[in-house]
Amino acid sequence: MNHTTQSKQAPYWNPYLAGLLLGATLLASFLVLGAGLGASGGIARVGAFVEACAAPAHVANSEYFGGWGSKPLTYYLVLMLAGTFLGGLFSALLANRINVTLERGASCSRGRRAVMALAGGVVAGFASRLAQGCTSGQALSGGALLLTGSLVFMICVFAGGYAAAWFVRRQWHD
Amino acid sequence: MIETYFGSDALDSGKALLAALVIGFLFGFSLERAGFSSSRKLAGIFYFTDMTVLKVMFTALITAMIGLSYCMALGWIRPESLFLMDTIYGAQIVGGLLFGLGFAMGGWCPGTAAAGLAAGKMDALLFLGGAAGGSILFNELFAVIKPVYTCGASGVVHIYDSIGISKPLFALLFTLAAVGCFWGAEYIELRRGKGGGLWNSPFLKAFSLALIVAAVGLLVIPAEAVSPTLPCASSLPADESAMLQRLQEGEDHIEPEDLADRLLAGDSSLALIDIRTPGEFAAFHIRTAVNVAMADLPAYMASHAANKTAVLYSNGMTHPAQARDALDRMGYSNVYLLTDGLDGFMQRCLKPVSLRGEPVPEPLKLKIQSWRSFFLETAKPDSEPPPQSGPAPAGNIRLPGLVETAWLADNLGRNGIHVIDTRSQPEYNSGHIPGSFCLNPESVRGNSGGLPSMLLPADMLARVFALMGMNANDTVILVYGDKVQDATLIAMALERIGHSHYAVLNGGFSKWTAEKRAVDTILPSKPASSLVAKAGSDTFTVDADTVLRHQKNKTAAILDVRPADFFSGVKSDEARAGHIPGAINRPYTEDVVKADTGVTLKPAADLQAAYAKLFPSKDAPIIVHCRTGHQASQTFFVLKHLLGYTNILYYDAGWTEWAAHPELPVAK
Repeated sequence: MNHTTQSKQAPYWNPYLAGLLLGATLLASFLVLGAGLGASGGIARVGAFVEACAAPAHVANSEYFGGWGSKPLTYYLVLMLAGTFLGGLFSALLANRINVTLERGASCSRGRRAVMALAGGVVAGFASRLAQGCTSGQALSGGALLLTGSLVFMICVFAGGYAAAWFVRRQWHD
Repeated sequence: MIETYFGSDALDSGKALLAALVIGFLFGFSLERAGFSSSRKLAGIFYFTDMTVLKVMFTALITAMIGLSYCMALGWIRPESLFLMDTIYGAQIVGGLLFGLGFAMGGWCPGTAAAGLAAGKMDALLFLGGAAGGSILFNELFAVIKPVYTCGASGVVHIYDSIGISKPLFALLFTLAAVGCFWGAEYIELRRGKGGGLWNSPFLKAFSLALIVAAVGLLVIPAEAVSPTLPCASSLPADESAMLQRLQEGEDHIEPEDLADRLLAGDSSLALIDIRTPGEFAAFHIRTAVNVAMADLPAYMASHAANKTAVLYSNGMTHPAQARDALDRMGYSNVYLLTDGLDGFMQRCLKPVSLRGEPVPEPLKLKIQSWRSFFLETAKPDSEPPPQSGPAPAGNIRLPGLVETAWLADNLGRNGIHVIDTRSQPEYNSGHIPGSFCLNPESVRGNSGGLPSMLLPADMLARVFALMGMNANDTVILVYGDKVQDATLIAMALERIGHSHYAVLNGGFSKWTAEKRAVDTILPSKPASSLVAKAGSDTFTVDADTVLRHQKNKTAAILDVRPADFFSGVKSDEARAGHIPGAINRPYTEDVVKADTGVTLKPAADLQAAYAKLFPSKDAPIIVHCRTGHQASQTFFVLKHLLGYTNILYYDAGWTEWAAHPELPVAK
């Protein structure tokens, strides 16, 4: 092992301090944008853009995506998603944490984990459209605004997660 | 007071997009710092092996909650400036359960996956791709899933209202619960031998204390300061329940089709209010709408729409709904929302039949056609945005000149169209062209150097027009009642300040009403502009000395437009009777005709024929005058702007001055 190039990864932050920074970011988002953080909205708009490239007339006339107009990417949540990637990249570079890998338990096959990640994405993507937000847009942002529906969503996310966890536990087994 | 991009309806502006990018950057940075670029770490929450998700998420939530509560309590930000998501129980319960399933399966949620991808995690890429695919799936299945999507929709509901305690008390309980969770999470990790290094640590004790003290502070400071811009009448619970009752019954909505029909019919009981940004309003708005900022709504309601059916709209429905509720609490029960906002109006009323997915019944087709022609006719083709400002809408008309009522109807409400009604104030007050400003012709005249009824100096005139919000690029439309010269006298004022973008409404207000076009009684409001006169514009006004010189040298024709009896000296209401020697008489009344729909100028061809006999050359100088300059303004307009005479001079002081100076020659 070449120790000069493979230097050690920096440790994660104290979770409460990371939480404080995240909370301050959310507060800034409220005060500047007037809206909280969000991620699934940006992803969905990328989805709308991709689908519109394949079938523009169909998307323009569809009831849900059609409402986003002909330029679904010109939207603050798309920029926020791009920022999230860049901020994550900056932090990962700083911590020397970039490592191209498919994260899984040692006894889980790559294929199984890949299918799980993809299927989980489909379900979460669908669910976030249904609930009009995800962990960031509804649970975190709506929770900080003390909105009933957002807190109900957060409780249901954990309920659904814990109920499903046992069935999908083996992907993390070493 | 902080105004957010959402609050000013500018969330799609370039600055807001840049701000979102920066905030996203901090978001992604925080997530990665916390270790959320690892799906294994994230999934740990579901197996009690790693409680970081709980610690970070609750810390962030409590921090933002307390911070925002202070900002609101101190009156730094109004709730109206925040995007508050609706509570939709069915969608959020089913969506939450499904989302939890996806989270546990994928090991990611959308935001963390973006950070995970940045750290090189290929499972994050798959998750993101899947989430985009899941969104597309949702779009495809929308018709099927729609009942769930809207199931239990309850509007904006706060948890403290749902359980019936005060907001600061709930915030404190929530904070205590979070602190309890932090200690529990540390204990779980301690027992499992994974992490848990902070159990009972000085850090955790101090951190817990800080959060609790901050939350207690919310109980101590006074309750939410009422926004200074929306002074709230004390709202009784009975009012609230009556309002909620109306909300439930949908009585606070007006459907786009109803609105379109009523506007088309010229219903003057409606006050349509666009609460979007002036930029958006300028780009497009529903015809007859006025642009009022949310903060100005109470004042506008009081002054303009107290006795009308006020209809609020924005692009969507959140802002109008919040504004409507605020106005309702202030006692305005006459405020309605446009169902589905401007977007809905475009979709339901103005979307061409050819683009509609569903079959359109024949009667609706006809309606859509008439709506489109009423609301869109003059808009440019879809590919071209409507003009933002300036005289562009003038397009096919010649300025200065005449415009037809149909043209004005099509262009009314567009940015850059400034309509001036020259009728008397009582007439104006009892009904006028929507958005038109009242200006008495006498307000452009005054005593100058002892001469009564002289057109005011250019700088004063510019101020008069600036105060009514007229801009240098505006196309001014002058509306008369039964005297064309009222409009043309204002036109002389415009000439003097060098504003040539104007036209007289052919047929005036009588023709407008005879054609049953829209009329209302709203006083329009526009901020005063910084209009200034263009120096040296007035090259046409001449004084007595100049007239006398031309008269002696016969270098200009003199056209006296007073009635024939005054010209001949049979009648007189001045110091001396008669006229300037050598002057030609063509009474201004010869140029107008009284039609069924009111007074209009005669057809240009008739005028052309008549004047060609008097003045064959269109380039020879002609001095027009009457007694005070009022009637002569009409002839000036006819000769110069309708018939194309190039050298028309205006002896403003007219017979009033001439007759009063015994040294000046008079003929009878």
